[in-house]
Amino acid sequence: MIKTFTQDDLIRYIYQETTAEESIEIETALIFDEALSDSYNELSRTVGLLKQVQVKPSEGTVDRILSYSKSYDLHALR
Amino acid sequence: MRKYAISDSQLISQYKNGNEDAFTELVNRHKNKIYTTIYLIVKDTYLAEDLLQETYVKVVNTIKSGRYNEEGKFLPWVTRIAHNLAIDHFRKAKRYPMIVMEDGSNIFNTLEFSEDSIESRKIQQDTHALLRDLIKELPDSQREVLMMRHYMQMSFQEIAEATDVSINTALGRMRYALINLRKKMTKLNIAYDQNLYPR
Repeated sequence: MIKTFTQDDLIRYIYQETTAEESIEIETALIFDEALSDSYNELSRTVGLLKQVQVKPSEGTVDRILSYSKSYDLHALR
Repeated sequence: MRKYAISDSQLISQYKNGNEDAFTELVNRHKNKIYTTIYLIVKDTYLAEDLLQETYVKVVNTIKSGRYNEEGKFLPWVTRIAHNLAIDHFRKAKRYPMIVMEDGSNIFNTLEFSEDSIESRKIQQDTHALLRDLIKELPDSQREVLMMRHYMQMSFQEIAEATDVSINTALGRMRYALINLRKKMTKLNIAYDQNLYPR
């Protein structure tokens, strides 16, 4: 008998928080349960988009961070 | 989670021993995620830059003074620092995050693409900017869980403990966040073209 899974289970699966056994059960269920598969596709597409939504800090900010680290020992001596 | 040839823990060990190149790698590896975490809270690029610097000042001070002991969990640790600094800023300024749409003119939108057409890059940039706005429109509880899981790399159990709810509640909030984002994007007729969004 194929176990039933919820969208919350799918979210745990997408974020790799399921056990190895759970993952295999979910993957099996995805093959046979079209509604579950549709839910998985929707959720994973949205998560996939989130992975691409990032902004970058300026190079100047990064340079200041690295400079602070390099000059830390000088600060510490004061 | 992405696998690197040299782990964060190894880089930190090297950094503790005086290797500044290791620190450079560590900063570059996670700077976008941490900056995005801050930006989604404060919604101001210049303020986010300042808070990113403050975050890393604390990181440097903690590691170089020998007080770092977050073995294997560098990213959750540093994103918590960043998150707390951003929230503290609002408490001090007695302001709270406004849920507004951005006009796009002050965003450091430097997402990197490779070998894409100008048109598809423009579509991706517009979509990503819109998605950032939609994230900011989410109810606070949903946005908080989404940011903690996706950008701060906290587990749902850790999120539940940090927000004093059950793990089922945390998962439910994440579910609603993802469904709401999907609904809003569908309503705005945003294309889910898999050629534009390869996984």
